[in-house]
Amino acid sequence: MNMELLAIFAGSSIRLAAPLIIASTGELISERAGVLNMSVEGMMLTGAFLGVAGASITGNAEWGLLIGVLGVIPLALLQAFLSVTLRANQIVTGIGINILALGATTLAYREMFGARSNAVIPGLDKWSPPLLRDVPLLGSEVLNQVWLLYLGLLILLLCAVVMRRTALGISLNAVGVSPRAVDQSGLSVTRLRYGAVIFSGMMAAAGGCLLSIGNIHTFTEGMTNGTGYLAIAAIIFGNWKIGRTALACLLFGAASALQFQLPLLGIQVPTALLIMLPYLLALIAVAGLMGRQTAPAALTQPYQR
Amino acid sequence: MSHRVIKSTTVQRRADPHLRTLLVMSGAIAVAMLVAILMILSVGVPVSEALAAFADGAWGSPYAIGASINRSLVFALVGIGFVLANRARLTNVGGEGQIAIGGIAATAMSLYGGCEELPYGLAYIVPILCAALAGGIWGAIPGWLKARLGTNEVISTLLLSFIAVWLLYWCVQSVSLLRQPMTSGGTLPESLTIPDTTQLPLLWSDSGLGIHLGLAITLVLGIVVAVIIQRTRFGFSLRAVGYNPQAARRAGMAITWTMVAALAIAGALGGIAGAIMLQGDQYSLKAGFSSGYGFDGLVVGLLARNSITGVFVAALLFGFMRSGGINMEMVAQVPAALVLVVQAIVILTLAGSAIWLSRKGVKV
Repeated sequence: MNMELLAIFAGSSIRLAAPLIIASTGELISERAGVLNMSVEGMMLTGAFLGVAGASITGNAEWGLLIGVLGVIPLALLQAFLSVTLRANQIVTGIGINILALGATTLAYREMFGARSNAVIPGLDKWSPPLLRDVPLLGSEVLNQVWLLYLGLLILLLCAVVMRRTALGISLNAVGVSPRAVDQSGLSVTRLRYGAVIFSGMMAAAGGCLLSIGNIHTFTEGMTNGTGYLAIAAIIFGNWKIGRTALACLLFGAASALQFQLPLLGIQVPTALLIMLPYLLALIAVAGLMGRQTAPAALTQPYQR
Repeated sequence: MSHRVIKSTTVQRRADPHLRTLLVMSGAIAVAMLVAILMILSVGVPVSEALAAFADGAWGSPYAIGASINRSLVFALVGIGFVLANRARLTNVGGEGQIAIGGIAATAMSLYGGCEELPYGLAYIVPILCAALAGGIWGAIPGWLKARLGTNEVISTLLLSFIAVWLLYWCVQSVSLLRQPMTSGGTLPESLTIPDTTQLPLLWSDSGLGIHLGLAITLVLGIVVAVIIQRTRFGFSLRAVGYNPQAARRAGMAITWTMVAALAIAGALGGIAGAIMLQGDQYSLKAGFSSGYGFDGLVVGLLARNSITGVFVAALLFGFMRSGGINMEMVAQVPAALVLVVQAIVILTLAGSAIWLSRKGVKV
């Protein structure tokens, strides 16, 4: 493999991993707080649609992003209300919201863009870090990514610091392990979990925007096509640790990039095998074949005073 | 005396849940209908026209009724498996994958397993049994992982679902697996049509309903599972393992075996659902074969609230809704996505009221 192909491969791995990294960062916070937000798939799809709709109406991709990220909040509130306040089964509400998002975005898209489904929609700009951008290949192929990815990485770092070093982070971790203890210490389990779910929704929407106005500059029906579930798989593979989850996303991105790369090298591998690979890896990880998995103790368990 | 009074009120209140379920169900459906009508209006189609198309597709002709019922069989089978596993507090999210695995097994046996020539209906029975076996093994994996390694079955069944769906995609894409021989560039990535003898025979074949033998299979399996749950030793150990594994172990029950068996049976029922879809109405395997029916079946199982009768009711509801929605898109140009929204509202309302529904006599 020559250098240029390698650079293109690295670049497309990062590009495919970027929405996963952003969505899984949010999802991880929610899971650490004890809420398995299975609706991350639907929230990404909603974000992707609202991003496109917003960008098309305002004529500005950044406004689209903002509309996407803020517009998903009602959906996140619904998820939090059902799973935290009403103590509903988190898997059911997640699947329900995914179905709702798929139906609603499909309807709304046909209603808005029906006649002009190929309308040109403004997209987010690309950016690469100064100094490094002048390095051949590295600057042009590998690091030249939509700026939202870099913002996502910044938020990821921030989350890592907050979760490890601040009182908020300790409370969030505690509410996913022993909500009763948190409640007895005088903090509100409800407020912490609502906050975590809303954050995860906004990050999922940002990831969705990266898919739509970031990468392909349009929306297609059901375009997330399992990306949200992949974000959940990445968390399992990353053993609920923030850094490892991001690395898992990169690995999944690389596995997806291989399906475009291998044929160029004349290697015939069934595409399905490569798409399946991330799920297989996550299954192996969750089965404990790669060291002990430690999911938050109260994950998926509603709290009742 | 006072003791007896308390006891009798508890019994009375416990009868309530059925009424409450009915109340919530009708409320959910009413809200969903209202939203649906608003959405039909916003699309700019006359409501009467859209509803007529829906009714026509769902129950407008013998054929439509048959198609709706055939569709609901798949939901029912997955739902029955869900209820059984749920007895042991195991959540089977893997229906989608188990359908896919069942479909693969049934296709392979029907086309290349030599089933075509078998006598006495074995031609279609053997593929179903093989699909049950394959689905059962697929379901047993998460059971074993759970019992031996403590792996959360929600996550493992979900991951196995995705793996199975892509496995099916692989099978229909690759000529060396199940894809039909490439005769031209236009050969579709799907399997050959299965031989006539391996297709499920129709019940009441001159009625035009088109209902196949799967109906009988599903009803029998539903009754069998209901009996297993209520009346057998295995059914009792399911509940015991679900409530308190430690106590069940001390009482001499085989925890590992019970967990593996529970999820394996759920998987086998999913596999049979896949076989029935293939041999009953699709007749060839294509990408996207499972079409989200596994998730619908999961929801059916949840809505049924541990009752097999409930599974059949919810499955019929979903079967008719799906058929009606498809026709509404074709005839009245109202996107079938509308049905997804309606379905989601029903799911979310019922999920949200679960606590209220299961609340026993005492006020919480």
